Amino acid sequence: MKINENFVLRQIADTWVVLPLGDTTLDFNGMMTLNETGSFLWSILEKGCQQAELVNALLNEYDVTKEQAETDVEEFLNKLRNIDCLEEL
Amino acid sequence: MLCRIADLTVEIPSDGSLAPRCKDYMLDTDQKPDIIIDDSLYPYEKFPQYSKEAVEYTHSGLQFYRELLDIGGMMLHSSAVEYNGYAYLFSGPSGMGKSTHTGLWCRTFKGARVINDDKPALRKIDGVWYAYGTPWSGKSFLNVNTKVKVAGICFLERGDENRIRKLSKREALVNIIAQTTRKKLTEIRMDAMLSCVGKLLEDIPFFEMECLPDTDAVYTAYKAMCPNSKEKNDEN
Repeated sequence: MKINENFVLRQIADTWVVLPLGDTTLDFNGMMTLNETGSFLWSILEKGCQQAELVNALLNEYDVTKEQAETDVEEFLNKLRNIDCLEEL
Repeated sequence: MLCRIADLTVEIPSDGSLAPRCKDYMLDTDQKPDIIIDDSLYPYEKFPQYSKEAVEYTHSGLQFYRELLDIGGMMLHSSAVEYNGYAYLFSGPSGMGKSTHTGLWCRTFKGARVINDDKPALRKIDGVWYAYGTPWSGKSFLNVNTKVKVAGICFLERGDENRIRKLSKREALVNIIAQTTRKKLTEIRMDAMLSCVGKLLEDIPFFEMECLPDTDAVYTAYKAMCPNSKEKNDEN
């Protein structure tokens, strides 16, 4: 899976925001904010990866249990799916 | 025809419905334009449901907005009122009473006037943020060819009492992004817009006000937003 390239992540005023570009703004003219963990997962998803790699990345980077990491990744991916920001290959 | 809008020289198509809106902005000297509004790009055929005037208004405004982003400014969906040398901007979704509120300022304070009722331009010149009247002022045609120092930006909500509070940068960011046109922006212009928003958040105080359509709401906003503390004390 991979981030839809019509979306970008930017940091403004210490806040991570996901914004659509070009024609995508006609379908989704809102914005989504991410926390540090979200922006970390985004940076991996931008290059394309499997769900398991995201879970492993969280386990390496943060002090969390496997169950917690799996839940966090699932929640994060659903957040992206809600705005059609995720391309599942 | 050549106009001077937001301290920029703009070439406006002499035919069509935009020209009459630009009367107060016309230049009588010949200058090289910074921005050219190109009427051959108006997409009439794509929007058969809208009038010719509506397409010309929206798309000339978008062309101006995109060029303005390239030079570090932006437009904010808001009604801007000038009083005592400062511009007070009231933003928020349509129907929240922006124009009603700034109209109340004009009735409450002698000398207050609306400089743009829909999309004032914002530019930082020599370290100071200015709000500019532009010909793109929505249905009301309320705009003045002037530039005024920005006192602050306030997002309006309907409420059952008048209550104002200062917003954190993060809260202000979410509000300002929601009220800024991002239609079909390229990545470069999106970044220009975000960079402009970032600077605004650093420099300008942001507020949120729940309000009633009454005179007390005007005093509530003025007391919180007026940059001159002496005036604030005088009001109290």
